[in-house]
Amino acid sequence: MDIFTLIFWVITLVWLGFSLKKDKGKTLKAIKMSGGMMKGIAGDILGILLLIGLILTFVPPETIKATIGQTNEVVSTVLFALLGSITLIPAFVAFPLVASLVDAGASIVPIVAFLTTLTMVGVVTFPLEKREFGLKFTLIRNSLSLIFALVIALTMGVIL
Amino acid sequence: MTFLKSQLKNNRFLMIVILAYVAVGIFSPDKFLPSLGNTWYYVKEMLMIMPVILLLTSLISAWVPKETIENAFGKNSGIKGSLFAFLLGSFSAGPIYAAFPVCKMLLSKGASIANIVIILSTWAVIKIPMLITESKFLGPEFMVVRWILTTLAIFLMGYITSRFVKPEDLPADDEAAALVDPLSLNPDYCVGCGLCAKIAPSHFKMVDKKATVISQTLSSGDGLAIKDAVAKCPSQIIRFHP
Ligand code: SF4
Repeated sequence: MDIFTLIFWVITLVWLGFSLKKDKGKTLKAIKMSGGMMKGIAGDILGILLLIGLILTFVPPETIKATIGQTNEVVSTVLFALLGSITLIPAFVAFPLVASLVDAGASIVPIVAFLTTLTMVGVVTFPLEKREFGLKFTLIRNSLSLIFALVIALTMGVIL
Repeated sequence: MTFLKSQLKNNRFLMIVILAYVAVGIFSPDKFLPSLGNTWYYVKEMLMIMPVILLLTSLISAWVPKETIENAFGKNSGIKGSLFAFLLGSFSAGPIYAAFPVCKMLLSKGASIANIVIILSTWAVIKIPMLITESKFLGPEFMVVRWILTTLAIFLMGYITSRFVKPEDLPADDEAAALVDPLSLNPDYCVGCGLCAKIAPSHFKMVDKKATVISQTLSSGDGLAIKDAVAKCPSQIIRFHP
């Protein structure tokens, strides 16, 4: 277990201890509720993990590396950003997916672009957002998010 | 049988993947075990953080006073308001569309456009439970750098949007339609968490991962459970006018 996960475990367990001491009923109820929520997405998570296993076996990392290494980084970053905009999968499920790409040797710049637009830009939810906040707001927020996703991705490429 | 059917329906994606595995097992059995082996590695990583995330989400929902935060920044639209907006987004759960109704309600309480953008974006990209997952799979360094850059970007976006969009540009609220029945909800924003059905099973039911109202009749004592459901719904979409 890496140090970060360990820190989160410690913080959470200490907080849990305090919480149980202060209000046992409330704490247990909250845990039960989150448990129910978690159960709802457990099937999707397991599905995606199984799919990753399958893909990694059939498309060996060397192939992924070679393919991604060949395409221009700017082009692949824009492509991944657009891909992230049109998909609506929980980020929770997306992390192991992109991690498998990074492990296989993909550059992080397109990955960051994908992760950021995945959650921040919503083409699928555009009509809903428009109905609540109006066209102008929705258009500006989504375009800004797309632009900043690219900026963040390129900056991370320089830093890391 | 109906149980099996609903399980199939709710886990369609998982079923498709399992079918793919069956096909692999038949047509190229030598790839079957390696695939499971590759999966196992990621399952292990997931299992290491799942309990933390589960516990942390529960603790946040039990102890972070959302109402206080929501009430507080309606009035503050300065730096302090933005900070509250940032906190509210960071400590939430659920996909971005769950944030729409919440933001709508905050707008009516006087929150500024910039702060709404801040909540929406924070809610979308840098929620605490997600940061844990990110650091686990992509490394702490990756997570921290992305968090810093994204945070900067979010505040900038809030500012830029508020320069272009004025409160008059937003459509007015039309809640009138919802007033016909004492109990109503807009399934478009339901994240399917099932809390309402758990809290008030005589009035809500989960159908196809979305909540529906199954009864309008109120017997004594129902009010409390329904009010509890209204308060707990993560997207704040249940309307109740007894
Ligand atoms: S509490 Fe009910 S209505 Fe609200 S999001 Fe969860 S399932 Fe949907």
